[in-house]
Amino acid sequence: MGTFIQQVINGLTVGSIYALIALGYTMVYGVMRLINFAHGDLCILGAFVGLTMLSGAIGGGHPGPALVFLAFVASIVVISGAGIALELIAYRPLRKADKLAAVVSALGASMLIENGIMLVWGPEVQVFPAGLLPATTWHFAGASISFVEVVIVLASVVLMAALYLFVNHTRFGTAIRAAAIDQDAARLMGINVNRVIGSVFIIGPALGAVGGLFIGLYYREAYFTMGWTYGLYAFIAAILGGIGNIPGAMIGGLLLGLFNAFAAGYISSSWQDAITFALLIGILLVRPSGILGERVAEKV
Amino acid sequence: MFKKLLIAGVSAGALMLGSGGVSAIAAPGPIVFGVQAPITGPYADEGQGIENGVKLLAEQQNAKGGLLGRQIEVKVCDDEGKAAQAAICARQLVDDHAVAVIGTYTSGAALAAEPIYARAGVIQTSDGTSNELLKRGYATWFGNAPTNSAEAKFTAHYMVDVRHFKSIAVLTDHSSFATGLADSVEKDIKAAHGHIVDKAFINAGSQNFTPVLTKLKSMHPDAVYFSGYYSDGGLIRAQMVQLGMKAVFVGGDANQNVAFGKIAGTAAQGAIIINVPAPQDLPYPAAKEFLAAYQAKYHVAPPSIYTFTNADGMRAVMQAIETTKSLKPAKLEHYLHHMKNFQGLTGNFTWNEHGKRVGSPFTAFEVQADGSYKIVYPAPSAG
Repeated sequence: MGTFIQQVINGLTVGSIYALIALGYTMVYGVMRLINFAHGDLCILGAFVGLTMLSGAIGGGHPGPALVFLAFVASIVVISGAGIALELIAYRPLRKADKLAAVVSALGASMLIENGIMLVWGPEVQVFPAGLLPATTWHFAGASISFVEVVIVLASVVLMAALYLFVNHTRFGTAIRAAAIDQDAARLMGINVNRVIGSVFIIGPALGAVGGLFIGLYYREAYFTMGWTYGLYAFIAAILGGIGNIPGAMIGGLLLGLFNAFAAGYISSSWQDAITFALLIGILLVRPSGILGERVAEKV
Repeated sequence: MFKKLLIAGVSAGALMLGSGGVSAIAAPGPIVFGVQAPITGPYADEGQGIENGVKLLAEQQNAKGGLLGRQIEVKVCDDEGKAAQAAICARQLVDDHAVAVIGTYTSGAALAAEPIYARAGVIQTSDGTSNELLKRGYATWFGNAPTNSAEAKFTAHYMVDVRHFKSIAVLTDHSSFATGLADSVEKDIKAAHGHIVDKAFINAGSQNFTPVLTKLKSMHPDAVYFSGYYSDGGLIRAQMVQLGMKAVFVGGDANQNVAFGKIAGTAAQGAIIINVPAPQDLPYPAAKEFLAAYQAKYHVAPPSIYTFTNADGMRAVMQAIETTKSLKPAKLEHYLHHMKNFQGLTGNFTWNEHGKRVGSPFTAFEVQADGSYKIVYPAPSAG
């Protein structure tokens, strides 16, 4: 029983991180029908920006939790800025072009960010400072959960709930949903679609930056190629939940984390990824548009 | 012009003396030791380490009156780590009447040179560890570094015979290096009658190791052996502690990196890493003396443990010459193949009939609270 509870905790922790990153994929796709392949790298860039705040001279002298808060603020601000810049430079000029051109541009941006991280921070594993957050661990029923894990799960739930409320219960959220359904119609209704697109390139990367910095704080290490690994997992989570659907990305992320934990824990660690992805294929065979995705008539 | 003529004259004389041949050995000239090593090229630091080590040993021995009352002369040939150059070096050192050749660094260069030495009856001792060299049955070949399988043997011996772990979990990533090491360790643990509860895999770099560790925890192993790299090893150690696992972490040689301790943080303390020690960590008094003399003479640290294993090769050959009071290849080979428990700078060892080093320089380190390493096995007083 302890083992089972532990696996649930393991799965929910990484699943929350996958979900936070997956939201960035799903929001951009929802509004623009574009897979932003640079998103994973943006998130990891967030981890590196946070690392610089945490270990650099800028943050010197602040006590742990205040410093961590500062790192989150810096990371969110920088990565949102990077998100807008990405949209302006890599995607906006191609908005009228062939879809494939935007995909190539996204892959190029991904490589640019990845190699940029390597040039600035170096190719070796970067280690986060220890002792920033309380090392408290609670043990119960043979399982254990650490302070950082609790923070990750709670913060993710709060952020995701806030996003859900924002999109569904505010005027701007309504504009986002309208633009997602039909950009031209939204424009005719007087919605500034460019502002909507700009906003998803702020919100998505901001949540991703939080996810990226959580990775850094949880595992206490970061390296420049990590964006690809996490990006791939989060992208799959978004597909699993139904890409373009916000609660879907949350559910997809959590499920993927749990799948992975159970596959490694109960079936075979050497086939961990194969089992996870086989399950994914199975779900998509039954529900081709993902768990919460709706089958919408293809637009011309 | 005159100088050149003189040199030509002298070398012609030397040639004639050389062709005077076998009986010249009895004359009280110097005993020649050859060094074949990559003095230039990508392995230059290793090659220069071998050259420095051999010259230092020769100097020390000469100060004590030399060998059999004769001085030692060291002749060096740069093989650049290349097979073609290695063959040229071998012929040159054979022509120089070297009794024994120390080096080289790469297996490929050793493989190209050894047939020439074997035909000429010149002993070669090198850190090249290719199995090919052991297979061909060269009587003159003495490998002074541990073979690739020695780490696994030592690991199994340490965990089963020394620490008496009742149950061991083996963890590896999917790389050929780590799976190869894990397979060998698994095999050797079984051969030592140890019990393996599970062999599990991680995806290197995936960071999310808690699921597999949770599974291992439920099997209550005494130790978790991880054959992969430090960036994953440090995290595995940290996540073991986070999950409240009591098992001892034992890591393969790729875990030895300063980043291991940084990533694992406070959890690093008590982790065991198995590797050949760095020169400054060799526990034996003779090794400490040699290191001090090396640094006093050259004002740099030796590049790696291989400076020491090659020095061990030279020391063994000198011991053979002194004990047998002979320079005859057959006598020296017989002695080296049959000597018992040679006390090396890198631990005690012997040579089997193929010239394979038996007795490894591997040690088990324990990571200390300050991130430094402490050798826990073999006991530092040994040797």
